[in-house]
Amino acid sequence: MGNNNTVEFIQEKCAVMRRDVIEMGYIAGGRGAHFGPALSSIEIMASLFFNIMNHDPKNPTMPDRDRFVQSKGHACLSYYSALIESGYIAKDQKSTFKQDESILSGHPSRNIEHGIEISSGSLGNGFAVACGMAKAAKIKKENHKVYCLVGDGECNEGIIWEAAMNGAKNKLDNLVAIVDRNGVQLAGKTSDIMDVDLVALWKAAGWEVLVLEDGNDLPSILEALEKMKNSKSGKPHAIIANTTKGKGISFMEGSINWHARVMNKEQYEQAILELESN
Amino acid sequence: MSNAPIDKLKEWSKQGHRNVLGDSLVMLAAERPEMCTVTADLTPTARLTGFRDTYPDRFFDVGIAEQNMIDFTAGLAVEGVLPYAVGLAAIVPMRPAEQMRVTLGYMNLNAKVVCIEAGVRFGPLGNTHYAMDDIAVVRAIPNFTVISPSDPLQIYKTIFAIADHDGPVYVRLTGGPGFPVMYPEDFDFQIGKAIEYKEGSDVAFISTGSMLGAAVEAANTLEGKGISTRVVDMHTIKPIDTDMLDKVFAENKLVVTVEEHTPIGGLGAAVAEYKTGFENTPKQVMASLGDKFQKLGDYAFLLKENGLTAAGLANLAEANF
Ligand SMILES: Cc1ncc(C[n+]2csc(CCOP(=O)(O)OP(=O)(O)O)c2C)c(N)n1
Repeated sequence: MGNNNTVEFIQEKCAVMRRDVIEMGYIAGGRGAHFGPALSSIEIMASLFFNIMNHDPKNPTMPDRDRFVQSKGHACLSYYSALIESGYIAKDQKSTFKQDESILSGHPSRNIEHGIEISSGSLGNGFAVACGMAKAAKIKKENHKVYCLVGDGECNEGIIWEAAMNGAKNKLDNLVAIVDRNGVQLAGKTSDIMDVDLVALWKAAGWEVLVLEDGNDLPSILEALEKMKNSKSGKPHAIIANTTKGKGISFMEGSINWHARVMNKEQYEQAILELESN
Repeated sequence: MSNAPIDKLKEWSKQGHRNVLGDSLVMLAAERPEMCTVTADLTPTARLTGFRDTYPDRFFDVGIAEQNMIDFTAGLAVEGVLPYAVGLAAIVPMRPAEQMRVTLGYMNLNAKVVCIEAGVRFGPLGNTHYAMDDIAVVRAIPNFTVISPSDPLQIYKTIFAIADHDGPVYVRLTGGPGFPVMYPEDFDFQIGKAIEYKEGSDVAFISTGSMLGAAVEAANTLEGKGISTRVVDMHTIKPIDTDMLDKVFAENKLVVTVEEHTPIGGLGAAVAEYKTGFENTPKQVMASLGDKFQKLGDYAFLLKENGLTAAGLANLAEANF
């Protein structure tokens, strides 16, 4: 799987995935769900799973598969929707999200058979582990890539920069980090909580950096990923993707109130209506 | 300390420990101008919005950077500010454990670390969000006091009491929305002094945190079967109240420690460590989360799975008595 899917095909997948996110989050009921963080990353996830990555849901342990690590693990709904729509997880599992004894926990839990390489949810660790995985590929002389989704708030963590420096030192040109810069973290706007120049920081750490004006625009994210995948810079790659938290649902877009929340019936119906009219 | 806010207990019990914390910090700040709050991007989660808006000059968000939060807190404490660092129990004592050891513990700094959602209350969020080992981590650091209050009023009293206690303190908060009011009226709370909640001479439940409710209920069940049962509220796990333990070891036939924590290094371990120095002490069994990562499930499911319900505790005691 991977390549050959048209932009139109992936665009349709994005629509389905957004619906999955809303449905699963609503099913979680009083247990709530991280809607905003999942919705900002839909185009990134769909690009990886339906075009960029070399992988096979029928053969999840294929040695030369590209690896994906969702370091901002609280956005698991965008990950689960990609795994469901690409066939790693049966569609009927959707209703088990966050339910007792389900495999679909509120943060991804390592489960190779279902396409989950790394447990995440404690911010910062996934990215540093991804660096180790990229190094392992080099040691084993394997040609696959490692893709890692990082949050912009997550970049507050020291471990991110420790790992970024180590990634550059080890010339991990088989590693692509995508920073989902949606501008909002848990308690407020990223610019209010820790206003930093992320582009300058990633560059200073020794990474090849590409800034995406609109990380929710499918053709541009596809183009950026393709470019980084084929780059000969010899450095690890970072795509700083400017996105919108809660993208696609008017009352969630850019809102700090939809970082994590319980969705009521009225909100659910409005969200579905908006998705259907698009 | 201001008068106990008895009128708030019902509401606090309904809201859960986070609101008790947020409200108590605002009340404390009114009395202690040197006090401040530090957090790592958790303002709404830890109910600190009120504090931030009331005392913006005494509120610091370091971003999602728990190690930095602890060392920043240490720097404030060194200079005589009274900092309360507030974080998630699943993340904070573990990730900055070394900072807690070498800055707060080693220098015996007057800083407070208060963590929300200890134990498995975060249920559906999964194992990254369960704090099952935080007591073990902090208890192993010299100079640290470790407290796990049992109900809304005790949380309030703890937040005030630690301000008057010179030295590093870790407070682990358990009990989600709907946790019971165990102390409906003002009571005497002293760090390091356990509370004998109920007398009894056969079994002794020694519990910490919001497990007290289940322990009392289990004790009542055992009483109904003719087993006289004592319940001790061991809110301070370090230093542990050895006077109370001496009394229990002398008078009870079975000790059941009850905690939302691994059996390794927590309350049960602290009791066993003390007990091992004496001959002829009663048998001890530990009700705990076990030495394992948990299945996914909501709070009630996980408590039941681990026997941390009134029925589970009564069964455990009966089977070992
Ligand atoms: C180490 C750690 N600290 C704190 C948290 C709590 N937390 C969960 S999500 C979040 C905000 C993340 O913001 P960002 O990385 O910008 O991701 P977004 O939600 O915007 O996609 C925080 C603080 C955590 N999961 N892990």
